Amino acid sequence: MRKMFAKRFVVFNLALSLCALGVTHPQVHAGIIDTGMVLEQRDREHQVARIQSMLAEHAVHSRLVSLGVDPLLASERVARLTDAELLLLEERMDELPAGGDSLLAIIGVVFVVLLILELVGVTDIFKKI
Amino acid sequence: MQRIVPAQPRASVELRDTPFFPQDAYQCGPAALATVLSESGVGVTPAELVPGVYLPDRQGSLQLELIAASRRYERLPYVLPPTADALFAELEAGRPVLILQNLGIRLLPRWHYAVVVGYENLEGRFVLRSGTTKRRLQSAPQFMKTWGRSGFWAMVTLEPGVLPAVPDEAEYLRAAAGMEAAGETRAALAAYAAARSAWPDSLIALLGLGNTHYIDGDLETAEANYRAVLAADPLHAVALNNLAQVLADRGCYGEASATIEQALAAAGEDSAFASSLRETRATIEARLDDESRQVADCSP
Repeated sequence: MRKMFAKRFVVFNLALSLCALGVTHPQVHAGIIDTGMVLEQRDREHQVARIQSMLAEHAVHSRLVSLGVDPLLASERVARLTDAELLLLEERMDELPAGGDSLLAIIGVVFVVLLILELVGVTDIFKKI
Repeated sequence: MQRIVPAQPRASVELRDTPFFPQDAYQCGPAALATVLSESGVGVTPAELVPGVYLPDRQGSLQLELIAASRRYERLPYVLPPTADALFAELEAGRPVLILQNLGIRLLPRWHYAVVVGYENLEGRFVLRSGTTKRRLQSAPQFMKTWGRSGFWAMVTLEPGVLPAVPDEAEYLRAAAGMEAAGETRAALAAYAAARSAWPDSLIALLGLGNTHYIDGDLETAEANYRAVLAADPLHAVALNNLAQVLADRGCYGEASATIEQALAAAGEDSAFASSLRETRATIEARLDDESRQVADCSP
């Protein structure tokens, strides 16, 4: 009984804080089971799924903000992701590649190693793109 | 096991009219996405895409956000099967392909988005819009190696109703469902219609049409779609649930009640959607209560 109360308390607080964030998801259409749910075999009305989704939205939003995205913008970006995409991002955002050509700080031995690799054609870092 | 060079000899191809957006620092994501979107008829610049896909502290863009951003422009983001053949098929269909490649090594990656616009078969080179180079030429082995490090990740942005060159039913339906979830109903309807023509037996495509019409506020067509699903599969619990919802919205509480009971019976206790079904029943019962037990029937 206490566990259920605690769970509801968490959900309620999350809901409040999400409202404060302004995170609105366009896909929550009361009543119908949408096609995404069918494909993922995931019931959004199920207690666990609902909490998971809220946590994922919250977590991804926080992560985006911590990576330098404006909070309002982060809300918009989160709203554009499907449930499945949100869950994936929550789990793996830090390990997923972020394409951007950022050259990590290369110094000393590492530089020499990379230069050699470049010369034998393993890498393509130093060519002008 | 992916071949270093394409599986069969390929004719040369180059989509020379593909727009070119020289990228700013770290912004190959917006530049590459703007390229394929523009080619598919959307007037957009990299600068407009930056707020939606750029991560300042990672100095780059995530694949999932490129996918999500495409939907806003009514273009279906479709991830290709991870093969050179699929990439060539798109080029031959006249569509440039957005790819992710690692120009560094696994331990020190340099992730980069580029757009493949062609292939020169004599020289065995791919032609890419890449960074600040309008025609970057990359040898086939080098291209396949660097592209391979991303798992051969590639995507195209499809106009509504257009199927990819190598259509995979599951992937296409997922993409269509993504449009539906994003509220892009016009594009979703076209996508599901295309799915129906490609895979006529697909009940998911038919269900998707119904759901999208529902979201659009077109209850009549939604109902027709759900009934069509049930004509093929009378015990389709999801279609029964959604039909019950439509009937309730129309004020046909008697029928709605009967339909949701059918759904619950068809689904069984341990159905994946038990919670949604019970929620729908609760909604209908609440409305029945409101109407002071006036059981309205909507018999034709």
